[in-house]
Amino acid sequence: MITEFILMNGYGLYIWLSFSIVFVSCAIVYYKTKKTLKKYEKEFLVELESLSVVDKKKALKTSKVAQQILATNSKIN
Amino acid sequence: MFKFISPSNVYILIQKLIKFINSIFFLFLVVGLTFALVLSPPDYIQGDTVRIMYVHVPSAWLGLACFSFITILSIFNFIFKIKNFYFINKSIAPIGLLFTCLAIVTGSLWGQPTWGTWWAWDARLTSMLVLMLFYVFYILVLKLIKNEQLLIKISSIVAIVGSINLPIIKYSVEWWSTLHQPASIKITGSSTIHSTMLLPLLAMLFVFLLYAALIFLMKYKTEIIRIKKKNIKRI
Repeated sequence: MITEFILMNGYGLYIWLSFSIVFVSCAIVYYKTKKTLKKYEKEFLVELESLSVVDKKKALKTSKVAQQILATNSKIN
Repeated sequence: MFKFISPSNVYILIQKLIKFINSIFFLFLVVGLTFALVLSPPDYIQGDTVRIMYVHVPSAWLGLACFSFITILSIFNFIFKIKNFYFINKSIAPIGLLFTCLAIVTGSLWGQPTWGTWWAWDARLTSMLVLMLFYVFYILVLKLIKNEQLLIKISSIVAIVGSINLPIIKYSVEWWSTLHQPASIKITGSSTIHSTMLLPLLAMLFVFLLYAALIFLMKYKTEIIRIKKKNIKRI
């Protein structure tokens, strides 16, 4: 039964190759997108940390995005 | 008018949506794959090769949908000059390119056992290839042009010109004699696909939509951080 399922009446190669190409491509794009996102989050934090205490406070007070990135990152750490 | 979609306002929502999609995605993927590979019946003519439809058709639909979306936002951008639409388009374009390429590759893998050829220069296949080239051109414009005003103008023109190809793709199977079969699913009028195949197709479409939404949100979030990082010293 498993062999039948894999062979798909002789069309297994085409079917499994199609599904594999789709899922491998999607997985690669997901991984690369996530990696880029993490990289930018890290770079943003480094930039935030490089500010003076006053500027950092001001940035966190005025920017919701800065607050969120800092909050998410402190949860991770 | 479009203040509610400003990056700062949507950032928290984006984070919540990414978490939500991540939590449900695998469940729907397993359900979709079970329907597509196990529960759906083989076609009476094409046999099991019809299962390629469950990845080919959603890919093609998403490739077309992404470009339609890019075109609409480009037109809005021309009229209302909303920079945020440009960032949304920048996040959508790679997703559209991915799905268009996947539609072409899986179509080719479906064509070989069904038509006896990997490729034919027929109207549907060629117009899909043209769509892929428009995506490549659009992304190249985004990457190569540094002047922001010029970039928004040229990318919008590419999108609007490229949109002429969209009805050609849709109606190519009716206007010309093609190897590609006519549409089995019609929004207006009755569909010619059996419910035992329609259900798996819709399940897989939903999985693909979830995936596209997830990648879009992650890319858009990256864009927001990139802009904020640029502006952080000006805060």
